[in-house]
Amino acid sequence: MWAIETRNLRKVFRPLLGGKPLTAVDNLNLQVPAGTVFGFLGPNGAGKTTTIQILIGNVYPTAGEAFVLGHRAGALAAKRKLGFLPEKFQFHDFLTAEEFLRMHGRLAKMDGATLRKRIDEVLELVGLSERRRSKIREFSKGMQQRIGLAQAILHDPDLVILDEPTSALDPLGRRRVREVVQYLKERGKTVFLNSHLLSEVELSCDQVAIINKGRVVKQGVLEDLLVNRSIVSIELQQATPQVLEAMAKVAQRVHPIDERRVTAEVAHEDDVPQLARAIIEAGGALMGLQAHRETLEDLFIQTVEGESK
Amino acid sequence: MSVIVALTLKEAMRRRAFLGTLIILIGLYGLTFLPRAFKEAFGGDQQQFEVGVNLAVLFGVDMIKFFSSVLAILLCAGAITAEIERGYLAAILPRPIHRWELYLGKWLGVMLFSAANATLWTAMLWASVAVQGEPRAEMWRALPYVLLYPVLYGTLALALSSFLGASIASMFTVAAGAFAYFADHFLRPIAGFFDVRLLQQMVWLSEWVLPMAVLKRLVQIRVDTILPPGFGERPRFGRPEVLEFLNPPVQNTDIAYVGLYIVIALLVGAVIFWRRDVQ
Ligand SMILES: Nc1ncnc2c1ncn2[C@@H]1O[C@H](COP(=O)(O)OP(=O)(O)OP(=O)(O)O)[C@@H](O)[C@H]1O
Ligand SMILES: [Mg+2]
Repeated sequence: MWAIETRNLRKVFRPLLGGKPLTAVDNLNLQVPAGTVFGFLGPNGAGKTTTIQILIGNVYPTAGEAFVLGHRAGALAAKRKLGFLPEKFQFHDFLTAEEFLRMHGRLAKMDGATLRKRIDEVLELVGLSERRRSKIREFSKGMQQRIGLAQAILHDPDLVILDEPTSALDPLGRRRVREVVQYLKERGKTVFLNSHLLSEVELSCDQVAIINKGRVVKQGVLEDLLVNRSIVSIELQQATPQVLEAMAKVAQRVHPIDERRVTAEVAHEDDVPQLARAIIEAGGALMGLQAHRETLEDLFIQTVEGESK
Repeated sequence: MSVIVALTLKEAMRRRAFLGTLIILIGLYGLTFLPRAFKEAFGGDQQQFEVGVNLAVLFGVDMIKFFSSVLAILLCAGAITAEIERGYLAAILPRPIHRWELYLGKWLGVMLFSAANATLWTAMLWASVAVQGEPRAEMWRALPYVLLYPVLYGTLALALSSFLGASIASMFTVAAGAFAYFADHFLRPIAGFFDVRLLQQMVWLSEWVLPMAVLKRLVQIRVDTILPPGFGERPRFGRPEVLEFLNPPVQNTDIAYVGLYIVIALLVGAVIFWRRDVQ
């Protein structure tokens, strides 16, 4: 069963007083397997937040369908097993951390004893145990985001949707979020997260989808997507056309940066020595060469840039 | 839903607006001691004193109507769109509650709050005349109808807030109230000189917008008994239709109409909120 599934999902925003309609989500097809940590990536304005808002039932799609945990998005049955941290989180800040969680627990229909126990647990998990009696208004931005995360996992949901959960967090806080994600995964939960911090996504996600302009442009298991490809940074005395041409025969892509520097992408690590040989044989004066395995960031940039060309 | 009611009450308490109105009202209730003060300063008989107290009671009931409506508008006008824009609702709605539950919860919260305040103020009014040796029951008899004022205004403001920001929603609510007030207070006295049928149509229109005049009459018959002689009397001569227009009678259907208006406004607001995007 898919934890999340969308079929030709579309959302068009029409300005009230005329003006050009804006297609934020455009025939989006997503399949998120239950029990995975799923990274939902894309450049600013790609339609990630809009998609998430449709999934939790805050926004109605213009066309297409969305299913969450086997129910139509927005249905009570789906919302019961769903936890959500909004991107622009803004909570009832006159409540204390504890009161705030108690309110959310009651909204989630938790019973008193379980709720009390869970509040202690989640406050501990996000590292706010000592501030439980402080008003949310007195919290720093990062602390507010943490309490938001606590709220999202409070009722032990099967699916946790996090829209940029680490945007306000310090490195320690970000590591804590990774630990929380790990904790959820170990319990068989599905985590659907959207973040621009790709190194973190790479550390915690099993699968990713990259979207651009409201469409999925790449989706799959992270390990398959990043299979063995290498990015090679090359420094030459002079990047002549002959050298570039020779490189292009070996590499999948050649991207000159300036007179001296070039990045190239090879399909496999084993092609790196061959690339070096090709440069030298074409008469290039090789000053430096460094290869690294393709990162998610490389894949992201390549996918999104390739898309807009 | 009780969670939403509790949250709305907490929010209302936090806004402190009710403290402001309480202070203003305490000041105004000082006025109810004027008849007593006059009597002591200048003499005057018991009957004059009683008329003074009656006027003070009528004035006090009007104040309670006014301030409880203001309170309800203040709390309702920012309840939906303004909260969506501030981002509060985006975190609440993913919880397993229906949108109508949220809407109704907010409505109930504000109504409970305004009703509690109006009741407190009525008790204060009662006490302020009672300590002068004039315990009166009229304000209590009028209270159930007085409470309809904040309900009426609050429901309208909440319905408007389902698609308008706080300031515009309260502006439109106040404008509807002003239209109803204008129609009731200024169109009637000129009936002798103008086409009564046309004026009548305008009054009906205003009552469609907001049945405030209807409600006013409902309150009035509860407190009219203490009107000083000569006040509010019908003119003795004139065309019958003008006379009727000048002083419309209270009908049995009036309360039903006010009730229907409230129910419809509540439904319309809830449906708009149900269908809109929350983002
Ligand atoms: N309520 C709205 N009315 C009109 N346009 C909107 C609305 N919400 C979003 N959009 C537009 O839809 C597009 C997608 O926005 P969205 O917030 O989903 O992007 P995003 O992928 O989350 O971006 P980011 O990474 O910056 O958070 C943008 O062009 C945005 O301007
Ligand atoms: Mg976003």
